[in-house]
Amino acid sequence: MIFEQLSGNLIQGLVLGAVYGMATMGLSLIFGVLKVVNVGHGACIMVGAYTALFMFKQFGLSPLFAVPVAMIIGMTLGLIFYYSAIRRLLKGPELATLLATFSFGVILEETIKQLFTSEVVGYNWDLPKFDIGITVLSLSKILAAVGSILVALLLYLWFNKTRAGMAMRSVVEDDDGARVCGVNVDWEYALSFSLGIGLTVTSGVLLTMFIPVGINPYMGGPYTLKAFVIAVLGGLASPYGAFFGGVVFGLVENGSYTLFAMIPGVEPFAMTRFFSFVMLLVILLIRPTGILKAK
Amino acid sequence: MLKVEKLESGYGSMQVLWGPDLEVKAGSITSLLGPNGAGKSTLLWTILGTVTPTNGKVYFEGQDVTDLPAHKKVNLGLTMVPEGKNLFKEMTVFDNLSMGAYRKEAQEVKQENLELVYSMFPILAERKDQLAGSLSGGQQQMVTIGRALMTKPKFIMMDEPSQGLAPKLIMEIFQTIVKMKEEIGLTILLVEQNAAASLGAADYVYVMHEGSIKAEGTPDEIKGSDEIKEAYLGM
Repeated sequence: MIFEQLSGNLIQGLVLGAVYGMATMGLSLIFGVLKVVNVGHGACIMVGAYTALFMFKQFGLSPLFAVPVAMIIGMTLGLIFYYSAIRRLLKGPELATLLATFSFGVILEETIKQLFTSEVVGYNWDLPKFDIGITVLSLSKILAAVGSILVALLLYLWFNKTRAGMAMRSVVEDDDGARVCGVNVDWEYALSFSLGIGLTVTSGVLLTMFIPVGINPYMGGPYTLKAFVIAVLGGLASPYGAFFGGVVFGLVENGSYTLFAMIPGVEPFAMTRFFSFVMLLVILLIRPTGILKAK
Repeated sequence: MLKVEKLESGYGSMQVLWGPDLEVKAGSITSLLGPNGAGKSTLLWTILGTVTPTNGKVYFEGQDVTDLPAHKKVNLGLTMVPEGKNLFKEMTVFDNLSMGAYRKEAQEVKQENLELVYSMFPILAERKDQLAGSLSGGQQQMVTIGRALMTKPKFIMMDEPSQGLAPKLIMEIFQTIVKMKEEIGLTILLVEQNAAASLGAADYVYVMHEGSIKAEGTPDEIKGSDEIKEAYLGM
C-alpha cells in the first residue's frame, strides 16, 4: 500500500522533474556563460504561464502553440534586457547584476499585473487521463514532460553538433580562448542571455500544462528558489546538469512528500520545502560542484 | 606586417603600457624580451583588442586596426597563443582544433590545416578524442599552437610558449616556431623570458621594460651589448 503510493508519486515526480529540469536550463546557461545569477528567473516563468493562459483563453489555442510564442517573447525580452542593462554591468561587482536581474523580475511582475490584474487565474485544458494502476497521469502532463525532454535534447544537440553551439560552449570554457579563435564573445553573451530567458519563459508554458491553476503575477518566487536548488544539484554552470538535477529534485520532492505524509501531525507540503533546502545545504557542504560532476 | 605606435593601455587606473613603438616585418620572427612585469603580455592583449588601448595606434598590413574588436582581427589573419593557453579543457583535442577553424575562411581549409597540425604534432592525432584538460603541459601547448594554426593566420603572437616545459620540449617548441616561419611562411611576434633560446630563433629583437621599449636590434647586436644584457635580460 505504502509502496504503491510511493512508487506512484515517484512516477509523478519523474514527470514533473523533467519539467523542473527544463525550467532550470536557462538559469544555468546564463550563469555558465555570463556568471550572472538571474534572480528574476521565477518572473520569467510567470510570463510563460501568462502566455499560455492568454493564448488559451483569447484564441482557444492549445498550450503547445504557446511554446514557440513564449520562446520568441523570452528571447526578445532577453535581448532588450541584455543590451539595456546587463552588458553595461558585466565588468562591475556581482551585486550590480544581481540587483539588475531582481529589478527585471519586478518590472515583469508589475507589467503583467497592469495587463492582467493580480487575480489568481487558471485554465482548463481538457485532455484524457491515463490510469496506469498505481497513479493517474493526464496527457497534458505527459506532453509537458515530453516537450521538456525534447527541448533539452535539442539544446544538447545544438551545443555539441553545431558550429554556433560549439562557439557558445567555448565561451563557457574560456572566453579569451574563444576570442583568439575569432568568436565574437560579446554577441555570444547577448545570445546566451537571450536564449536563457527564452528557455525560461518557455518552461513557464510547460509548467502550466502540469499545474494550470494558481497563475498570478507573483507566482514565480517558489520557482526561483527551486531552480537554485536544482542548479546547485546539477553543478550550476551546466544546462544538462540542470536537467538531470531537475529530475532528481522532482523525485526527492514527491518521494519525501509521501514519506512525510505518513508521519502523524506533520504538514507534508511544508516539510518537503524544508527538506529541499536542507538538501541544498548538505550538497553545498559536501559536493559544491554538484552531484553529477565527476571532479 | 604589424606596426605599433605609442600604444598606451592598462587595467583600470593602473597604466601598464607607456607608449612602446614596435614593428614586425612580414616573414620574420620578432622577439620581445624583458623581465617579468615589463608589460609584454599586456602589449599582446592590447594588440589583439582584449585590453582597450587608451592612446596610440596599431596597424596591421597598413590598415588601422586600433579599435577593432578581437574577433575581427582574427578574421584579418591575426591570432595569439596565450600564455595561460586558454584551452577548452572539457572539450576534446579535436574540438579544440575545430574551434580554431571557427571563422569562415578557416573552415574552407579545415581539413588541410588539420593534416598540417597532425603532421607537426603527431601525438595530437593519437589523442584527438581525449579531453584537452587531460593532456600533459607540453601536449596542451601543442594544442594551443595547433588551434592558432587552424585559424589560417598570417601573423601569430606567442606569449611564453616554452614556459613550464622540460628543456627537451623547449627545444622542440622553438624548432616548431622556426618551422612555422620557414615552411608555412608565418610572421611571428614572440614573447619570451628564455632570452638565450629566443635570441637564437629571432630575426629582430625588442627589449621591453616598465611598459616601454628600451632597446632594439638584431640578435647579434643585443648579444654584443653587455649593457643591455645586464640591465634588462639578466644574462
